[in-house]
Amino acid sequence: MNKMMASGVLIVAFFAIIAVLAPFIAPYDPGQIDIGNILTGPSKVHILGTDSLGRDLFSRMVYGARISLLVGLIAVAIAGIIGITLGSLAGYYGGWMDIVIMRFVDIMLCFPTFFLILAVIALLEPSIVNIMAIIGFTSWMGVARLIRAEILTLKERDFIYAERAMGAGDFRIITRHLIPNAMAPVLVNLTLAVAAAILIESSLSFLGIGVQPPTPSWGNILSEGKSVMGAAWWMMLFPGTAIFITVLGYNLLGEGIREKLLK
Amino acid sequence: MITYLKTISRIKTVFLKAVFLFGVLAVMGFRPDYGDAIVVGAIGEPRTLIPIMASDSASGAICGLIFNGLVKYDKDLNLVGDLAKGWDISEDGLEITFYLRRGVRWQDGQPFTARDVEFTYKGLVDPRVRTAYSGDFKMIKRLEVIDDYTVRVLYKEPFSPGLSSWTMGIMPEHLLKGEDLNTTRFARHPVGTGPYRFRLWKTGERVELVSNHDYFEGRPYIDRYIYRIIPDQATLFLELRAGGVDEISLTPLQARRQTQSRFFKENFNKFRYPSFGYTYLGYNLKDFRFRDLRVRQAINYAINKEEIIRGVLLGLGRVSTGPFIPESWAYNKAVKAVKYDPEKARVLLKEAGWRDLDGDGVLEKNGRRFSFTIITNQGNGERRMTAEIIQRRLKEVGIEVKIKIIEWSSFVSEFIDKRRFDAVLLGWGLSRDPDMYDIWYSSKTKEGEFNFVGYSNPEVDRLLLEGRRTFDRKERTRIYHKIHRILYHDQPYLFLYVPDALPIIRKRFKGIKVAPAGIGYNFIKWYVPKAEQKYIR
Repeated sequence: MNKMMASGVLIVAFFAIIAVLAPFIAPYDPGQIDIGNILTGPSKVHILGTDSLGRDLFSRMVYGARISLLVGLIAVAIAGIIGITLGSLAGYYGGWMDIVIMRFVDIMLCFPTFFLILAVIALLEPSIVNIMAIIGFTSWMGVARLIRAEILTLKERDFIYAERAMGAGDFRIITRHLIPNAMAPVLVNLTLAVAAAILIESSLSFLGIGVQPPTPSWGNILSEGKSVMGAAWWMMLFPGTAIFITVLGYNLLGEGIREKLLK
Repeated sequence: MITYLKTISRIKTVFLKAVFLFGVLAVMGFRPDYGDAIVVGAIGEPRTLIPIMASDSASGAICGLIFNGLVKYDKDLNLVGDLAKGWDISEDGLEITFYLRRGVRWQDGQPFTARDVEFTYKGLVDPRVRTAYSGDFKMIKRLEVIDDYTVRVLYKEPFSPGLSSWTMGIMPEHLLKGEDLNTTRFARHPVGTGPYRFRLWKTGERVELVSNHDYFEGRPYIDRYIYRIIPDQATLFLELRAGGVDEISLTPLQARRQTQSRFFKENFNKFRYPSFGYTYLGYNLKDFRFRDLRVRQAINYAINKEEIIRGVLLGLGRVSTGPFIPESWAYNKAVKAVKYDPEKARVLLKEAGWRDLDGDGVLEKNGRRFSFTIITNQGNGERRMTAEIIQRRLKEVGIEVKIKIIEWSSFVSEFIDKRRFDAVLLGWGLSRDPDMYDIWYSSKTKEGEFNFVGYSNPEVDRLLLEGRRTFDRKERTRIYHKIHRILYHDQPYLFLYVPDALPIIRKRFKGIKVAPAGIGYNFIKWYVPKAEQKYIR
């Protein structure tokens, strides 16, 4: 394991543990309103301070980690499934199927992703499920292209001819042989996509159209932090730092995997 | 009108000094200096500068400087003449005769006459013109121009809000005749009779006005009025600090926590007075859950309004139990707010048949969980926080609340107008007259009308009509007190609070006096001493 990958794994694991163990780590109920303690700074009682309804920021950050990671992972899972399916179909069958799928990819790539997401959110209603789905449905194109390119070369290799000679069907060849062998670059791409998805969720929540209250997410804590910027620095610093470090972690992990697998 | 005023004590002393100084200078024959500019910062962009179509606060504020009505409210909220120097109301209340000021000129030099009043009236009642103000003017049977300076208005029936409806800005006939008011270029290049004339409007950036030297009440002291659009509270505040704007409205947090430093005390005056509006949670009364009075009353017991005022407004507001502000004569002080009592709320919900059978903490009735969505508009932190407190407190009595925050224009057109909501968190800005026919009358439920909660009570309908027909203040007081009592009992809204207005203005502006009407009523008398003027051309 190289240095980059190691630090990536460390960061990702750290936040994953926090997310999983949130109920045990958080000292308070993240929704506990305390009007007597509005926007108090970090102290022994509230180690990261409180927000504008007197809720404990640390507890909200811990639960926010759940949302951010969940959105990141599920969105990428959706993107992965769509991308791998369409990419391998296009690569394996070629011909008109390849043309149709890849032109569709080109069309999807023409839209600036973030604005496409904004437009879709305006039509649907903002909720965690919708956000995960929309991010997933708008970020599979890279995966599809990668896997198609890999399969185009792989399907001409001898072991595939051998498999076919032994009577294996298309489905078996694609799922058992082509996809596993094409996964390396896709894995890198998907890891980096998690970082991107977390950023998109944060951006949407920051704009107030992402995760809806009272569910805490780093993005909506940050958004609230902006409006109380002058009175409560902790409301921007902590969620901002958390987003930054997590995204960095996934990027390091992705780059680390790339270095290990592709070189 | 009984209205009290509440300023922060520190400002009061500053204010007394100013009054004292004023007294001394007046003896010496003091005259304020002309010049300088005031830069007002706000988050909203005006939508139009046609007074009869200005229904948002930004448009209203700017139109108020460019145009005049026939009458206006003075600092104590009494109706006084503006473009009309006097008026008679007939014994039966069916006729108002306005005597217009002579010698008033439009800012392009044309004389102002009764024909402009007639033109404005025709625009207001024209069904093709998209105005929210037609209601009051549809009560008019006929408007007669007696001569150039006399107008007689005949009502179909006695209509007490009639006189106050003539605070509406009057538009110039000679510039607008034959134009389509919905699309005319005039909306962005207005010409009025008011103290300021229009200079430019850069979309998304600023509107600039310059003083009208020929204004009939005298030339305003401040030469230029610049309205800057900065659509974010935090940025607006930074601009204020940096000197880019001179006046903004503070959020409660800014007023309480961010303007206490010496820098602010030395450079700014802060003001505080009750705003003319209230915030409420309106229920969709077509919904089977909210049709049950016991449910609405239970929610009233389950929500602690004091908590919301302390938490969201940081104490800068007051509880309201009805559709008026507590200072209004129409407000019935005998209607007492119920005490926060979650136990009572649970009992009422139980009586209404709501029970938690599956033990998930949410009540059920006939197999349906009590879960509903509160919608509110984006960009209003106070409303978002209020919704979150309501959500928390209702959870404690077994009601699940979801919150949906929606961008303003689709909020109004897709959700409010079409009645696609369970409950809505919103505020009303009130007119000075207590008539609220448009909000509560049972027939006002069509798309785009204001009774979107679908309230219907024959007694209230009758009282609303009676209130509009009655001129006697005592009699009207009795009527509106009764309406207030019924509305609080019926709880079509959960009445929450009346927020305070919290303007802050650079110290160089003098002559500002807080009155029941707020501070803007004497804007043309504000001035900056020569030595302190900032914008000199």
